[in-house]
Amino acid sequence: MALLDRSEWYDVARATNWTPRYVTETDLFPPDLSDPFGLPMTAWEAFDEPYKVSYREYVKVQREKDSNAYSVKAALSRSKYYDSADEGYLSLLKLHYGAVSLTEYQACQAQGRMSRFSKAPGMRNTATFGMMDEMRHTQLQLFFPHELLARDRQFDWAHEAAHTKNWAVLGGRHTMDDIMMTRDAITTSIMLSFAFETGLTNLQMVGLASDSEAMGDFTFSNMITSIQSDEARHAQLGTPSIEILIKNGKKAEAQKALDISFWRVWRLFAILTGIPMDYYIPLKNRHMSFKEFMHEWVIKQFARQLSDIGLEKPWYWDLFLDDIENHHHCQQGGIWSWRPTVWWNPPGAVGPKERAWLEQKYPGWNDSYGRYWDVITGNLLDGHEEKTHPNCIPVICNMCQIPVSNRPGPKWKARVYQLDYQGKRFNFCTPVCKWIFEQEPERYKDFETIVDRMFSGVIDPPTLPQVLIYMGIGVVSNGGRDGYDYSWVDGHRKQAAE
Amino acid sequence: MTASKPATRSKNMAGPLLRGGEIAVAACEAIQEDNPEKQVVIEDHRTYVRVEAEGGLIIRRKTMEEILGRPFRMQELEVNLTGFSGQIETDENYMRWYLKLDL
Repeated sequence: MALLDRSEWYDVARATNWTPRYVTETDLFPPDLSDPFGLPMTAWEAFDEPYKVSYREYVKVQREKDSNAYSVKAALSRSKYYDSADEGYLSLLKLHYGAVSLTEYQACQAQGRMSRFSKAPGMRNTATFGMMDEMRHTQLQLFFPHELLARDRQFDWAHEAAHTKNWAVLGGRHTMDDIMMTRDAITTSIMLSFAFETGLTNLQMVGLASDSEAMGDFTFSNMITSIQSDEARHAQLGTPSIEILIKNGKKAEAQKALDISFWRVWRLFAILTGIPMDYYIPLKNRHMSFKEFMHEWVIKQFARQLSDIGLEKPWYWDLFLDDIENHHHCQQGGIWSWRPTVWWNPPGAVGPKERAWLEQKYPGWNDSYGRYWDVITGNLLDGHEEKTHPNCIPVICNMCQIPVSNRPGPKWKARVYQLDYQGKRFNFCTPVCKWIFEQEPERYKDFETIVDRMFSGVIDPPTLPQVLIYMGIGVVSNGGRDGYDYSWVDGHRKQAAE
Repeated sequence: MTASKPATRSKNMAGPLLRGGEIAVAACEAIQEDNPEKQVVIEDHRTYVRVEAEGGLIIRRKTMEEILGRPFRMQELEVNLTGFSGQIETDENYMRWYLKLDL
């Protein structure tokens, strides 16, 4: 029996905006969950998803993707790759799984909200596939690290991280709750599908894949690029949303949703992708610097898409370009220094050769971040490992939940941006995080940072051992140590001797 | 497939990003065939191949079938399509990447 071509039936099959008779339209699509911008139903019926798929095609293609990902894993698990894998690279994997696996599961709910509450039938359809995509991603990223558990308990964070109050998890959760768990269907399609999935997931799922392939880990690179092929499809539901909002006089609203979410996700991805790319991957296996990836994927590709659909670059674009040069270098220093608080073993990995590479990719690195590492290196060479553990508490940004920091050295840029609101002082890392708070203070004001919790009595007594237990360290697994046990200092020792 | 890289790229490049595999190799060939008037730029980045041209590209189902020597559904390309630059249009007989604005 000959099948009709998809285009011959697709529009009819998707026309599912029936006229409700037993409830009002507002009951069926409450504005807070559906469309707070107040566009009429007919406006949303113009929604035409650019990347179309039928259920029949979806099942066939997804089956092929899955059988490929799982069979590559099965074939390569005999090679015992992970038994002799580089410790810095294993840290990349632990960070990835802990941050990503169950975030994908959360994304099922966000896709589910769009598939139920969007007034656009095309969005409901696309998001239904998106929901199943995210389920697949969760399953893959729980199953793949599971075999590594017997080898290293820190891989347990793939499943446990989301159930802890680790500071890094709090940062990720605060952002994800903001952009995809607590927004209406339309805003979610801009914040999650467009800003996050179209704009930034490529960095982790494709950019990092190139590095992991260079490391010989085909299981991982194959799995995450398979995931990205789903993202490339379902991320497309953001574009028609934005075009419809612009057409109906709501460009400012769409722009604001983009500006908020792009910054929030960027602050996380600089840590998640930027640090592993520029510090955890051994020098000889690095493909491009994080900055080079940002230029290819975001500054060129994503910014071009932005202008094509009628939006502007976010107002803070210059601050963003500057942040690409700084944020992940700051956080590499911070995370390494507070290494007992994380679930992976961050390598310092700034020997003489690595420093030369960093200076070449980020001119001025030696005179800024290099100075921070000079002190650490000096202490390690003098046999004072204990001095590399700071005895102070960082100031945490009340928006991104990440320690406030910026460029050190002669061109010192670190400062805190403060706001007094309802008798409380709030600290922010950048004018952008402060601006986001100011857009809706009531939304954000009651969230306590990990440091707030030490002062408010939530973490009692507020001592380092108690903080670590509160964060799941020593409970789920032991905390981090230097990934290479300080062997990267040897190059400096040799230099000093010469 | 051969990698080529021009010294400067225009602001109007669009096209697919393909991860390795039989379909990706065939797609690169098909794209060259389906866009004879275009200078197709292919950049190999290990896990993905960036295929782009000024103003975008098209790939046709018929061409894929000829190259693969078997029936091909356009949707199968998704297995290897990890992303793309520009915007996308999908149809059962072709897939197209394009930009609306000429900058």
